[in-house]
Amino acid sequence: MSIKASEISDLIKQRIEKFESAAEARNVGTIISVTDGICRIHGLADVRYGEMIEFPGNLFGLALNLEQDSVGSVVLGDYKTLREGDTVKTTGRILEVPVGPELLGRVVDALGNPIDGKGPLNASRTAPIERVAPGVIYRKSVSQPVQTGYKAIDSMVPVGRGQRELIIGDRQTGKTALAIDTIINQKTSGIKCIYVAIGQKQSSIANVVRKLEENGAMDHTIIVAASASTPAAMQYLAAYSGVTMGEYFMDNGQDALIIYDDLSKQAVAYRQISLLLKRPPGREAFPGDVFYLHSRLLERSARVNEEYVEMATKGAVKGKTGSLTGLPIIETQAGDVTAFVPTNVISITDGQIFLETDLFNAGIRPAMNAGISVSRVGGAAQTDIIKKLGGGIRLALAQYRELAAFSQFASDLDEATRRQLERGERVTEVMKQKQYAPMSVAEMALSIYSVNSGYMDKVARNKVVDFEAALQSFANASYANELAAINAEPVLKKHEETLKKICDDFAATGSY
Amino acid sequence: MADQATIARPYARAAFEYAHAAGELAAWGDCLARASLVVLDERVRPLIGNPHVERAELVTWIGEIADATGATHFGNFLQLLAENARLESLPAISEQYAELRADVENTIDVKVIAAMPLSDQQSTKLVEALTQRLSRTVRLHTEIDPSLIGGAVIRAGDFVVDGSLRGQIERLNNTMAGG
Repeated sequence: MSIKASEISDLIKQRIEKFESAAEARNVGTIISVTDGICRIHGLADVRYGEMIEFPGNLFGLALNLEQDSVGSVVLGDYKTLREGDTVKTTGRILEVPVGPELLGRVVDALGNPIDGKGPLNASRTAPIERVAPGVIYRKSVSQPVQTGYKAIDSMVPVGRGQRELIIGDRQTGKTALAIDTIINQKTSGIKCIYVAIGQKQSSIANVVRKLEENGAMDHTIIVAASASTPAAMQYLAAYSGVTMGEYFMDNGQDALIIYDDLSKQAVAYRQISLLLKRPPGREAFPGDVFYLHSRLLERSARVNEEYVEMATKGAVKGKTGSLTGLPIIETQAGDVTAFVPTNVISITDGQIFLETDLFNAGIRPAMNAGISVSRVGGAAQTDIIKKLGGGIRLALAQYRELAAFSQFASDLDEATRRQLERGERVTEVMKQKQYAPMSVAEMALSIYSVNSGYMDKVARNKVVDFEAALQSFANASYANELAAINAEPVLKKHEETLKKICDDFAATGSY
Repeated sequence: MADQATIARPYARAAFEYAHAAGELAAWGDCLARASLVVLDERVRPLIGNPHVERAELVTWIGEIADATGATHFGNFLQLLAENARLESLPAISEQYAELRADVENTIDVKVIAAMPLSDQQSTKLVEALTQRLSRTVRLHTEIDPSLIGGAVIRAGDFVVDGSLRGQIERLNNTMAGG
């Protein structure tokens, strides 16, 4: 894109014209100490809580501690240039970030500055990062599904648009993988995705960006990155910046999905800031308001009704609801879900997906523990076909878990018990899924139907995965139209015959 | 220092209330200012809190220099500070006392830093405008700072109005660079 010389000077002229040369009246203070990213300031008599403060050198900070004789503020950026005695000024503004569709496909930091080297954002509007969640009157109950593309999740712990579903587990259990696969599966669903990376390694974030680009998912995704080397204040704010960007889509009658990876690191960053601000430490040294930290963040993920969207867009969008689905991630230590922050977030979210190391190591991936994972929205957010077929899956797995202890004595069991055990084994095998291989509703329905109806009962346990893969490629090759029809109208009654036909035809090929 | 301010506050308040009740606001204010200067002096610092120095003697000596005529019992105040080892807080106490006094007398000290000396007419206009804006009697203190290039910076406590040319150029610079 070439810029003519006249255009540049025109731009400059515009800027000069727009510049208001009135004398500015501000409140000032002096820095009396700078330690670890926290500044104590003397003065600033009229500063308000959470107001942006301007430091010399075009740096900004947030006023977080308003005491009688001093103001404690976190510096949003590199504080090495600040000196004792420097003058700071109030700005009269609360922290704002750019929002809008211009952010899709970009990687930004916690303040909305682009860090992917693709030029300025040119976002048309900004929004304050702290906002009260929509009230009770403006909400609508969750009834549309978010398809994660995972059989295990969409059948047993379905996620709806506007729900908050917690992904909780130890390190290296597949939490981020689950989140990324969900993003990749939203290519055709129209859901805009936001991935907030809090305290992650920069190499991990780069990996995520690359995988999303490879799978063509960056076009509908915003990445907000506050890596481990950024100041604690940025890590604390990144989640709020992300939800503000998501609220733009929700307010405009669209659907969005936000993933916080992860909230444990955000709580730790907030703990660091609070301790440095000399706020009294509580349980596990977290400050007293660590619950509020997460609750006000997660409450902003909601489904809002048509009246709210009409009000928010000033009548531009009518008759559409908006939603912001939240998938917070929490990392536990040694599977301890009774620790402080995990229990807080479990009580806030509408369900959780527990990922366990034992299952992961045993080869069951996604390593979801179906027994204790739950979705409080449940069937209301499932397509009819998956709801009807999924009920059998849950039951089979529950019965299997009951009897699993007897699997060593399989030869001494009666026929019924042995069948239940074998069915449970096959269901477990079917629930396994590779990364970056999301399935459509029709494909999922086919797999679940075939295992529920006993087509895999004669297949050896270690061949079930291959059987399923072969069934899928058979169906995609010969029955593509029928699958498309199921995807278009996912009702079991209409398509049960088709599913039976596909399975019978596949069995008839005799390859298994 | 924030901690100094917290320590100084009860003393400043007590001194203010006593002086206000006795109608000796001005005298106490002057005494406190002078005593602060003494305490801040490099040569006096090592004497405060020094175990070899007789405390009562130090207090009388400071009181003499501060010239406590018109301020009854100022010596007692100094004695109290010495007993509690708070003589170093005198500057902070004096500052807070001045604020309390300005509050009750409805005055305010305004510092005007101008690039060039102000004419009498300009000064009067400024005082009028400020009195109206701050609704207090304004005491103007002027300073010259040629690095402002033009205009003036008006400072009233924490409130600053930057009408200098240098400030405008800085803001223009920020707008151009930041967009």
